[in-house]
Amino acid sequence: MATLLDIVTTAAILFAVSAGLLIVFGVMKIINFAHGGFLTVGGYSALAVTKLGWNPWFSLAFAFVIGGVCGMIIERLVVRPLYSRPLDAILATWGLGIIIGQGITLAFGREVQFVQSPVSGAVDIAGGSYSEYRLLLVGIAIVLAIVLGLALNATRLGLVTRAVIMNENLAKGLGINSGLVRFGTFSLGAGLASLAGALITPLSSVDPNMGVPWLVNAFMLVMVSGVSLVSLGVACLVLGGAQVLVSSWGNPILGGLTIVVLAALVLRFRPQGFARD
Amino acid sequence: MICLSTRRAIAAAAAFAAALAVPAQAADPIKIGIPVGLSGANSVVAPSVVQSAELAVEEINAKGGILGRKVVLEVADDGSGAAGAQKAFDSLIFQKKVDVLISMETSAARNAGLPIVTRGKTPFIYTSFYEGRSCNKYLYVNAWVPDQQVAPIVDYFMKKYSAKTYFLIGSDYAFGRGMLEFTKGYITSKGGKVLGEEYLPMDGTDWTPIISKLKAAKPDALITSTAGGAPNVTLTKQLRAAGVTIPYGNLAVDEGTAKSMGPDAEGIYISGSYFTNIASPKNKEFLAAMQKKFGANLKTPNDLSVPQYEGVYAYKLAVEKAGSTEADKVIPALAEVSFEGPRGVIRMSKQRHAPLTMYLGKVKADGGIEVLETFKDVDPGEQCPKLK
Repeated sequence: MATLLDIVTTAAILFAVSAGLLIVFGVMKIINFAHGGFLTVGGYSALAVTKLGWNPWFSLAFAFVIGGVCGMIIERLVVRPLYSRPLDAILATWGLGIIIGQGITLAFGREVQFVQSPVSGAVDIAGGSYSEYRLLLVGIAIVLAIVLGLALNATRLGLVTRAVIMNENLAKGLGINSGLVRFGTFSLGAGLASLAGALITPLSSVDPNMGVPWLVNAFMLVMVSGVSLVSLGVACLVLGGAQVLVSSWGNPILGGLTIVVLAALVLRFRPQGFARD
Repeated sequence: MICLSTRRAIAAAAAFAAALAVPAQAADPIKIGIPVGLSGANSVVAPSVVQSAELAVEEINAKGGILGRKVVLEVADDGSGAAGAQKAFDSLIFQKKVDVLISMETSAARNAGLPIVTRGKTPFIYTSFYEGRSCNKYLYVNAWVPDQQVAPIVDYFMKKYSAKTYFLIGSDYAFGRGMLEFTKGYITSKGGKVLGEEYLPMDGTDWTPIISKLKAAKPDALITSTAGGAPNVTLTKQLRAAGVTIPYGNLAVDEGTAKSMGPDAEGIYISGSYFTNIASPKNKEFLAAMQKKFGANLKTPNDLSVPQYEGVYAYKLAVEKAGSTEADKVIPALAEVSFEGPRGVIRMSKQRHAPLTMYLGKVKADGGIEVLETFKDVDPGEQCPKLK
């Protein structure tokens, strides 16, 4: 039972952390290596909320807004000139991640900080006790998936975005301002990453490098998911579940490799990964 | 002509003045080299180490120096690692020509520096706790090794909670594994049982499967040895969130980290040779002097910076006993002198290591440490039996 809960909650965390990266990759076809940096921004937004003495729940909205605003500025200044040069964009966003980390070090110091958690402790469930916050994360991830799914599939904005994802030139020809879509998408992706950063603070330490360990797993999950939220969900459950199983039955050091190795194998034998087509 | 002779006269006067000034300075200053991790992993703690060395030197100079010679510090950044340490040791020993090295460093940096110490024949007092059994003709250690740190926690758990079964969790690196290997041996030798021993890579953040294993094993007590900083914080947070309430001994937490962890740290047992609230007059004097010298810039003194302060004094006493700074004379003297500092009376008399008074503390709700028990003169065990 505990293992099952571990799998579901791990998948939920992975989904929350990867969603922003997926959105950006889907529309812009560039891998945003500053994703780890945006996670860190979210963690420190939550820290700011704690320091100001506000309600910890507010940190989620606050982190989303801060991350989104950072995303807007960065899209304008750094990412936009590099749309036609995806390889340079990888380098630029990688460097950007380092700059964000160093900037945060300058502003907040290098040490590990403490953020107040919205809920703490464990609840009794199915004959054992389990971390309340991890269970809560499952709910948050599901809500996140539904909201994103509806936004993409049931709104005019989503329609336009999907048009750009499918065929950008054709969309442009139909009068869709793809530049604006890219701007909106990058900002949304950054906001989501920052939100995820705030979400993981009760589990993680808050330090200038907090986003880095999550980046590689998020990257691999997005690689095997194509551009669909559903396949990202499946990938998180399958690969995250495999990680939990390997960690509990084997050892956690192998568990740390599981997602990366499995993702590489999946792509070798099924290049479209978990996507349907 | 007149001009020239005036100049000569001035030169002569200056030379005369200089000649008068020399006896006041007695001789060249004694140079203490401090290779320390100003950048990299140790950068959080390094400033406090340098500060305590500065205080020791200021105090010694105010009382006339060592053998009438002034003492100066040469600080070099070792980058917290092997490559930086080689450069730092090389420049301190062969360019700055220091008389002694006194420093807290990572094990990687220390190991990289030792061959250079041997080549330069320079005494080296290592002031960081470490995994033990580093032996070199020129090396002395005045901080604790696992033999001294682990025993107080395990003994206390066995006595207070009658804990028989233990679960061990650590970060996957030399110090983490070394500490827990030792802990396991110690628990077994005392009739206890280790139900599980689990490690997560250094950059791992999700301890969930390990915590599930811990809960399934139902041990009486938990002992952890992670890397300092982030891994320690993530593990503690996730343990608390998972509702783990068994006695929890943490071999890697220091006062500062405990404070930053807030309420999650409450109730953690820690063991060390120094806490700021040790109630000895020497400690109070030391803290007051640090406060006076550094004021608002003071970095909280800790179990890594206080041995540095005492190390400088140990060197002073050894040089005075030897009557010289020559390595061959200072080395044997270092084992014989004892200095009473904030941690108590320290004498590096046991195979280049020091029997230490160890304290068992419990983290209070406000992040402070309550000292529960004092273990007098805990023996470092067989560290360097082959070294003369």
